[in-house]
Parts: sequence; structure tokens; C-alpha cells
Amino acid sequence: MNKVKKALSSSKIVTFVWVLGMIGVWELGAATIARSKRTPENVLPHLYQILESIFSHKLVNSTQTALQIVLSNAGITLLRAGIGFLIGIMIGYLLALFMSLFTAVEKMFFPYLMIIQMIPILGMAPIILAITKDIDNSRIVIAAILTFYPVATNTLAGFKSVEKEKHELMYSIAATKFQIYTKLLIPSSIPYFFTGLKISAPMAITASILVDTLQGGGGLGCMLSQSLKHAMTIYVFWQIVFVSALIGILSYFLMTVIEKVLSPYKRATKVKKR
Amino acid sequence: MGAAERLDSDELVVNRNEVEIRIENLGVSFPDKDGGEPVIALQNINLDIMQGEFISLLGPSGCGKTTLLRTVAELQQPTSGKITVRGQSPREIRLKKKYGIVFQNPVLLDWRTVRRNVCMPMEMMGIPKKDRTARVTKMLELVGLMEFGKKYPHELSGGMQQRVGIARALAVKPEILLMDEPFSALDEFTKEKLHEDLLRIWKKTNKTILFVTHNIQEAVFLSDRVVVLSPHPGRVSAVVDITLGRPRDLSIKSSPEFNAMVTKVRNSFESL
Repeated sequence: MNKVKKALSSSKIVTFVWVLGMIGVWELGAATIARSKRTPENVLPHLYQILESIFSHKLVNSTQTALQIVLSNAGITLLRAGIGFLIGIMIGYLLALFMSLFTAVEKMFFPYLMIIQMIPILGMAPIILAITKDIDNSRIVIAAILTFYPVATNTLAGFKSVEKEKHELMYSIAATKFQIYTKLLIPSSIPYFFTGLKISAPMAITASILVDTLQGGGGLGCMLSQSLKHAMTIYVFWQIVFVSALIGILSYFLMTVIEKVLSPYKRATKVKKR
Repeated sequence: MGAAERLDSDELVVNRNEVEIRIENLGVSFPDKDGGEPVIALQNINLDIMQGEFISLLGPSGCGKTTLLRTVAELQQPTSGKITVRGQSPREIRLKKKYGIVFQNPVLLDWRTVRRNVCMPMEMMGIPKKDRTARVTKMLELVGLMEFGKKYPHELSGGMQQRVGIARALAVKPEILLMDEPFSALDEFTKEKLHEDLLRIWKKTNKTILFVTHNIQEAVFLSDRVVVLSPHPGRVSAVVDITLGRPRDLSIKSSPEFNAMVTKVRNSFESL
């Protein structure tokens, strides 16, 4: 009994059971729908059908297979999300720095930052489009807007989390304000900064896909809506579902890897209190 | 004296008949949060600490011993009276880095190796890298952590972390070493080893050490003089000369002289 308990609590087993369970539920649904609907692939195709479409050599438009379409458009979306993400990081970080340096800036901006965050992307998109007058740029801007808030708030929280004793140490060795930031606050806030990045990286990608659906010009969202409108095979849609989920998860792991490389000391012990 | 020359100069010239820190009529009070009467942490403190002296501030919690140390370090402003260190204000000695401070927690930066933690105060002074490296090596040798330079703080035991704190405090060659209950979180064995090592370091470097503790035995074992403070309001109630010979090692702890001193210090509390 205990052995079973132990085996079940190991994270690999848990993941395995989850994946297995999800495949089971999916296939059960697909089998039910295959019996009741005329075009079951529009509602829920079998997983093997999606796999088949991935490896199929059949051209779905004049030049590309389904997989080629998905991957090339994934590249376009990733590029936009990436640029927006980088801009968002820069703005978010600078904002956190300014808010930490000047209390007045924090009081002025902080409450309103949250409001920007509360506007749904699809409500914001037309406004941004009207301002930038370019769908490509507005996709980047929206990815940036979604990125900057988690980065700014988490980094600011990182600056504020530094213990009083460490500030006193810096004071006792007569550190300048510049030194306090470069040698204490900025290194201390790195784990918080990365928490912000881990939240916002998948968000930037989601936003980019969502805004894609509004207008043409390529991108995963664009293909997704075309596929849903039956302008091309529905399997493009199903592939995009999986590819975008994968990209989102990978973006999170990429941040984790970058963090590990940048901080050689172990984070786990930071939490431990003496 | 420029930043670079500071590390080259010989160890401090110490005249044990001259005053290092002069505390005159010092009073410190904290404003009450609810707007009531301010809380008096220290009242009318007068104390001369001699150059090269090892002096302990001993008392129960709330007696203001830490506040007194923090006022010397300019981490706390006096409400009345003043402190001078060889004629200079606490602000001046802080800016010139004439004291090194060791806190109750080691307060190390987790992302820096032991070497780079010790190095940090020297970076603030703009000391060239070559001199810093040499100095760090010397400091690690002094505190017995030569093999641990490349480790990160979380890889060290509590006692070792506190040794890093001491090395860091001494790295810029301060005149004074301020220690705020540095060993109170350590187990008895580690503590005793550090006591011996601290005395050795003190002898080698000629620092004036101001040591805050609530442990009578610790104060007696280490100090030339023990300043006994009493609370509400914090004030000096006795100054006890510790007439035990030097050098001291752990064996004196079982001697009748040591126990007599401990009793003497304890009695100065009971007579309060």
C-alpha cells in the first residue's frame, strides 16, 4: 500500500497518469462524436487523425502541406510575440526601476497599471490598431502591453523584498545609490524578474495568436480562423491547437532554463529561513 | 589616504592609553507609533572605549545594547549627547569605512561566492582588482576558510557563514569591529571555536572590538571590560574589569578565577 502511495506521488508517474487520462477522455469523446455527427473532425477528431495530418504530404493550398502552413505561421507569430515580449520586458523593467527609485512615480502609475491589465485584449486590439494603423505593429504592441505588467510588478516586488539588514550592510559600507542597485537590489530581484517572465512569456504568445485572428497578414491565429471557416482543411486548426500549446509551454521552460544559467546559486535555499 | 594605499599600509598603530570611542551623555529615544510618550532606549550613557580594547555590552533584551552599537555605526541617530571616534563623528567614520560590522545573521549575498562576498566592501571603495584578490585571500586565511572561497553561502554551515561575515568586516582594514550578537544563533561547540578564533584575530589585527551579547560567560571569556546595561530606560549600571590573563583558551572556563568573574558580573545585575 505504501509503495503504491510512494509511486503515485512521484511527479513523473503523476504526469504519465495525467497524459494517459487526457488521451483516454479525448478518445472517448471522439468515439462518441464519430457516431453522432456527420463531420466529426470539425468537433473532435481522433488523435491518430491529427497525427496522420501532420505527416501527410498532401498539399492543402497551392504550395504547402498542413504542417508547413502551421510551422511557417508559427514562426511569424513567434517573431511578433518575441519582439513584443522584449519591448515589454524593457518597459516593464524600466518602470519597476523608476517606481522603486521615486515613490511619487509608484503612487502615480501603479494603480493605473492594473487597469490597463484588466482591459480584455480583444477590446484593446481595435484601439491599438487605430493608433498604430498597422496590424503587424499592433500585434507587437499588444504582446508588449501584456508582458510589461507582470515584469514591472514582479521586479518591483523583488526590489522591495530585500531584507532591512542587507540595506543596513550597504549603508554601513557607505555604498552609493548606484552601488546599492547594481550590487544588491538588481541581483536580489532576479528570481522575481524571472517569475514575471514566466507569467508573461505564454501570455505574449496567446495575445499574439488572438490578435492574429482579427485581420489577415499571416500568423497562427490568422490560419486558425481560416481553417475554422473551412477556407482550408480543419486539421490545420487541430494542429495549431497542439502547436500553440507546445509553444506556450516551451516559452515557459525557456525562461526557466535562462534563469538557471544566469543564477548559479541554488534558488531553493533562498526560501529557507535560518 | 587613497583607497589603494589603504590596504598596503601597516596594521593600525594602537595606543591602549588613548581613547578610541568616546560616548558622552548619549540618549536615544524612539517615537511612539501611537503618538504617545517616546520610548527611551538609552539614557545618559557615558563611556570611553580605549584603542585596541575588547569591550562587551551585556544585558537582557530591551536594555539598548544593540541600539548603542547601532548608534556608533550611524545606523541610529542619537537624540541627545554625542559619540566621537578619535575626534570624528559616526558619520565620518562610516563614510571612511573605519568600522566593520558583523550582524546577528551573517547577511551574505546568496548570489556571490564566499570570495566575492568578502570582496564586496572593497569594490565599493574602488580598490583595484589585483589588490582586492590578495586581500581576500589574506582574510580567508585569517578566518580559516581558505578552501571555501568558491562556495556559495548556502553551502556553508552557520558558523562558517559568520566567519565570512567577519572576513568581510575586516577586509577594508577598519579600526573598529562592531559585533551585534554574532554568535547567538550558533550551537555551543561552534560558538566556542569561534570565540577562540576571534581572540586570535583580535590579537593579530589590533582592532578595537565592541561586542554585543546577552551571554555572561561569552562576555567574560572575550572581554577586557564588560559594560553591564539595564533596561527601562537603557543605562550603564556597571563596568566590570575582567582581570583574567591573556592569551585565554577554553581551559580557563573551568578555572575558579573565571567563575569568580562570571559571578561578579552576574551580581552586578542582581544588585539592580
